[in-house]
Amino acid sequence: MTAALLEVSGVGKRFGGLQALSDVSLSVAAGEIVGLIGPNGAGKTTLFSTLVGLHRPESGSIWLGGRDLVGLKPHRIAAAGMVKTFQNVALFLDSSVLDNVLTGGLMRHSIPAARDLARRCLERVGIDSIADKLARDLSFPERARVEVARALCTEPRILLLDEAMAALNHAEMDAFMALLRQLREEGLTLVVVEHHMRAIMALCDRLVVLNFGQMIATGTPEQIARDPAVVEAYLGRSAA
Amino acid sequence: MSGLSPRQWTGLALLAALAIALPFAFEPRGYGIRILCLALLFAAMAQAWNIVAGLANQISLGHAAFFGIGAYTSTLLLIHFGITPWLGMFAAAILGGAAALLISLPTMRLRGHYFALATLAFGEVMRVIGNSWGGLTGGPVGISVPFAQPSLALMQFRETRSSYWLMLAALVVVTLVFVAIKRSRLGYRLRAIKENADAAEVIGVDTTRTKIIAAVISGALTAALGTLYAQFQFFFDPDTVFGVASVSVRMAMIAIVGGIGTAAGPILGALFVIPLEEFANQVFSAQAAGLSQLVFGLLLILVILIEPRGFMAIGPRLQRLLRKGDRR
Ligand SMILES: Nc1ncnc2c1ncn2[C@@H]1O[C@H](COP(=O)(O)OP(=O)(O)OP(=O)(O)O)[C@@H](O)[C@H]1O
Ligand SMILES: [Mg+2]
Repeated sequence: MTAALLEVSGVGKRFGGLQALSDVSLSVAAGEIVGLIGPNGAGKTTLFSTLVGLHRPESGSIWLGGRDLVGLKPHRIAAAGMVKTFQNVALFLDSSVLDNVLTGGLMRHSIPAARDLARRCLERVGIDSIADKLARDLSFPERARVEVARALCTEPRILLLDEAMAALNHAEMDAFMALLRQLREEGLTLVVVEHHMRAIMALCDRLVVLNFGQMIATGTPEQIARDPAVVEAYLGRSAA
Repeated sequence: MSGLSPRQWTGLALLAALAIALPFAFEPRGYGIRILCLALLFAAMAQAWNIVAGLANQISLGHAAFFGIGAYTSTLLLIHFGITPWLGMFAAAILGGAAALLISLPTMRLRGHYFALATLAFGEVMRVIGNSWGGLTGGPVGISVPFAQPSLALMQFRETRSSYWLMLAALVVVTLVFVAIKRSRLGYRLRAIKENADAAEVIGVDTTRTKIIAAVISGALTAALGTLYAQFQFFFDPDTVFGVASVSVRMAMIAIVGGIGTAAGPILGALFVIPLEEFANQVFSAQAAGLSQLVFGLLLILVILIEPRGFMAIGPRLQRLLRKGDRR
């Protein structure tokens, strides 16, 4: 493998008595699309939150482009180029869609420049028609896409998407996957949490499987689909 | 997005003309014009409070600390060094901003009630210091601004009218600062913090730094207004300028009654609350001790119950009601 953009090693995170992540190690090369899968409660969201600095891990290290991120606040990690979207969607509800996305652009730009960038991000995600709506008035699928546009507006090097496709129909999902591939062509690196196996298999170069906070497998989609431990822990259930 | 329509400009110009001419409708040395001055001053104070509370939803109940620091700073500089209150006001703003920075560091992580209580405690600590450090402040008996020949240079006026225009100018300045912040990157960041602090951090907002900058601006402006208060009243004591009820809660109350987070809210709120308070005082103080405060408090509770978002929300609500009426 070429030099990794993101290098996670031995990360552990505990919530009281619950070991949510134990000894998680993974590396993501620049330009890769990596899928992170696993059953509910496996620790996928916790891993994302830890990577962007919302949680501080008790052990392990997180390197992004040769820089140690452990202990940095989320805004510093965003400045370094890693941003995540929220699974349960965390928009600024009393602001317009445009203002939500624009706020992501303020880290690197003035307001007018951020506004132009925000409009382009909305277009790319295919929701420029709702730019002036209040986030509060959106449907759940619309909200999820605003999340993605807002994250893109920070101009990340690596984007962590936490079930961004959850509420999309098939056609929308295909369009969204085309967008992700296009973004990758433009140099973005992606880590994607998703329960839709069809989407994951079609999209990702490599999969990482979490179960009870531990990494139980990693490999190409074909390898993972044939891995007995993964079928036992996860695929068996969803495929059944 | 930024500019006002020609009609709005006309309205604003008329309002400005009215505000400037208003003192001529009052008796020059009367009681009415003094109430008006206080209403403008408190509108400006509530507007300064609005920067942190309205935009970031950090409800401070300790702004009296900055107000009192401002009142004492300029007054002590005038008494001991003969420094004009105009310069004293700048010194006050610097000290007020420094105090805001100091209190921000430990409280910025706190949210909601915890932030309110911590700031309340800070205000009370300042009041206790003001009362017990008699050598500096004159202690509980209070302090007087040395009386001089009325002159603009010393911020002392023969006519209450002049004080009125000074208060009006202060209100305009603080309101412009509020509007400028609201439209700036700082304003966007503060709103992001108010609506979802974690999401704001993750997309690159330095939430701690943003809140501290807003708090320092708010504290500095509040302290500068403390100087205006001292020059207007000529006499004050720690319990008044550092008071929870007389300053901190009143600032919050005015902004909330008028419409928190809006530029017009604190102005409407002050023009309602301050005269109402005076009215309740005059009518009921003869009846029984404390009755006027009770009536005043009940009236405010009533307003909040009817429309928790304040006067600024009543207009749109009426419009909606009228439109519904039309459809029938
Ligand atoms: N802030 C928290 N405090 C305490 N426990 C938490 C917290 N966040 C997550 N957990 C627990 O950690 C475990 C992992 O949760 P996490 O949300 O990371 O799972 P997930 O893989 O994202 O699941 P899903 O597929 O349902 O989104 C769960 O048992 C969850 O209850
Ligand atoms: Mg999750």
